[in-house]
Amino acid sequence: MPESQAAADKKTSKPDVPVQLIVFRLAGEEYGIRIEQVKEVTLTPEIARMPKTPRFVKGIANLRGDIIAIIDLEERFRLRTANNEPVTGVTYTMAIEAKDYTIGIIVREVPQPLSLSAASIEKAPEFIQDLNINDKYIEGIARVENRIIIVLDMLKLLTPEEIMQLRPKATSSAAAERR
Amino acid sequence: MKSREQEYRELFMAEALEAYDAMSQHMSVLEKRPEDEAALNEVFRLLHNLKANARAMGHDAIGEVAHRMETIFGQIRSKERPFAGSMVPVLFSGIDVLGGMIRAVGANQELTENVPLIENLDRVIEGEEPVLVDDESGTEEDATRKLELSDLVYIPIKKLDHLLNLVGELIIDRDRVLTLAQEIGDTTLQSVTAHLSRLADDLQYSVMDARLVGVGTLFNKFPRVVRDVATAEQKQVELTISGQDIQIDRNILQIITDSLLHLVRNAIGHGIETPGERVKAGKPEIGQLTLSAQTDRDNVLIRISDDGRGVDVERVRRKAVERGLLSRDAASRLNETEVHNLLFEAGFSTAEQVTEISGRGVGLDVVKLAIDSLGGQLRVDSRLGQGTTFTLVLPTSIAVKGALLFELDGHPYALPLMHTDSVVSLQPEKLHVVGGTLLAKVLTENIPVVRLADLLADNDDALPLANRAALVGAQDIIITNYNGRKLGLIVDRFLRQQDIVIKPVSQPLDMIDLFGGVTLLGSGQVCLVLDVPAITRLFLSRRP
Repeated sequence: MPESQAAADKKTSKPDVPVQLIVFRLAGEEYGIRIEQVKEVTLTPEIARMPKTPRFVKGIANLRGDIIAIIDLEERFRLRTANNEPVTGVTYTMAIEAKDYTIGIIVREVPQPLSLSAASIEKAPEFIQDLNINDKYIEGIARVENRIIIVLDMLKLLTPEEIMQLRPKATSSAAAERR
Repeated sequence: MKSREQEYRELFMAEALEAYDAMSQHMSVLEKRPEDEAALNEVFRLLHNLKANARAMGHDAIGEVAHRMETIFGQIRSKERPFAGSMVPVLFSGIDVLGGMIRAVGANQELTENVPLIENLDRVIEGEEPVLVDDESGTEEDATRKLELSDLVYIPIKKLDHLLNLVGELIIDRDRVLTLAQEIGDTTLQSVTAHLSRLADDLQYSVMDARLVGVGTLFNKFPRVVRDVATAEQKQVELTISGQDIQIDRNILQIITDSLLHLVRNAIGHGIETPGERVKAGKPEIGQLTLSAQTDRDNVLIRISDDGRGVDVERVRRKAVERGLLSRDAASRLNETEVHNLLFEAGFSTAEQVTEISGRGVGLDVVKLAIDSLGGQLRVDSRLGQGTTFTLVLPTSIAVKGALLFELDGHPYALPLMHTDSVVSLQPEKLHVVGGTLLAKVLTENIPVVRLADLLADNDDALPLANRAALVGAQDIIITNYNGRKLGLIVDRFLRQQDIVIKPVSQPLDMIDLFGGVTLLGSGQVCLVLDVPAITRLFLSRRP
């Protein structure tokens, strides 16, 4: 998304461009996705686990006749800790429009829309590169009052290579991650 | 259902009327531009086809007129004479007479020969002057003639594909509604859904029926292929075709076209011997090639049979060892059928030498893959020196497949019946552990058995060594069959047999080839459909 990148860069020059985000929580932190990338939010339908997929791919589900993959970003970003139980009970699924397909992202609470000016989204600082959330998925960091919202670039996160973890030795590293 | 004959008649009518319309149009062009070659060629072609079709249907009166007109247009085309002069009104009235006769066929009337016209056409052919009667009546008739539209429509297959997809969705929803109605228990709702269900069934079969074509539409292209290949290979081959009337989904026929071509070329190129070799082997000089189709329950069997040299089992064994597909020991233990199935292994068939020696093998794995993609089976029977038969077992329709539903880890799965050999329930003591793998004796065969849960586990390492003690109580086992290779899959529980509509797995999960698709059950649950060829390959690669 070159335009939004540009918008984020020129934060001081164009303060008044509003940006609509859908904000959701992962492991207590707030994350945002640009609203145009979110197709809909629903109660999570029944998910059938699909063998031989990375663990963070929860499986496939029937969303209004379309069979889509559902992923768990907490597992993807390895944010799950001891006091942070696996997702159970009523959850919600955001259907995200990726390049050639739709993908569901599972979240614990109803995601909320948020309007803010493009100027309030800053480029991600360097240190984030050390974290599990590789900075290439991060479009920027939004500061609204006391909140810090990590704005994700879903198109980069949802490429087939990313989802299927297609990397050299993909299977062994995926297996190691699970143990 | 209409009789086959009536269907053929309707087809003839549609084509003939269309030809008539086209000819009338081209004639008007020729009247203005007698030199127009495209129009001349078209009229000639249309007359030729009309003649052939009419004669095939027994309408000789049409054939006679069309034949004479074709002759005249042949002369014009070869520039022996121009499209001019007194022949023009004769040809125009010829077209009108053909139109009248075609309409008469449509109205089920007897055809009568138009003697004055035929005499005039003969005169034109001989270069004599035709006897022209008062032309006015003709134009009169022309002016009052009714315009007609054909009773048949041509539909692009894409539209039918779309229709079929919609029907597939409808069937899934119907199953849902049926389940819900049962749960709610309202009698009015139940009777309405029962009616809806019947309608949906009818609709489904109508759409499937609309997609069916005769196998003959493909078979009839083969006499020419056989002639060409036989000539190139300097062999003498007689082709016998049967079962052209067997109906099959048009897209299935499309997908197997290349495979069939391949098998026929192979049969002539590598199966049937040269006349000299045949005489030496005590066979008639002319090789026999048979292309046949027949129905077998819900499937269509297509056979390609030759009386050539057959597959040399020993040589195939040796080659398989040389290519590193098998150890010498394993190869020697294979029975004949298992050796034949080696021909379909990727990496076996690409070897040039194999074809020279065994006479078989170029790209048979490609044929196999095409048949697999349809959920079909490919079998081979061969006797050294007597010939080879390839049998393609194909589903009649793509959309709906019979499947066995079972449960694993609390989730429903489906397995196409096409690849299901049998279903057994065995106590653990009936299973034996041989070389770390479970073996079950079913009837007279020893079949490897694996816990499907182990096979589908996320790592790709070798399977854990089989441990019979871990199995408690009767084990539900589905025996699958792929390419003659049987494999037992231990599942948690059999559910039922059901016709399912398979949807492709959406991106990006379609990279996992273990699943041929998904289907939605009446309960709304998503059900993965296992792909037996991929499961078999996975087992072979992970076998301890």
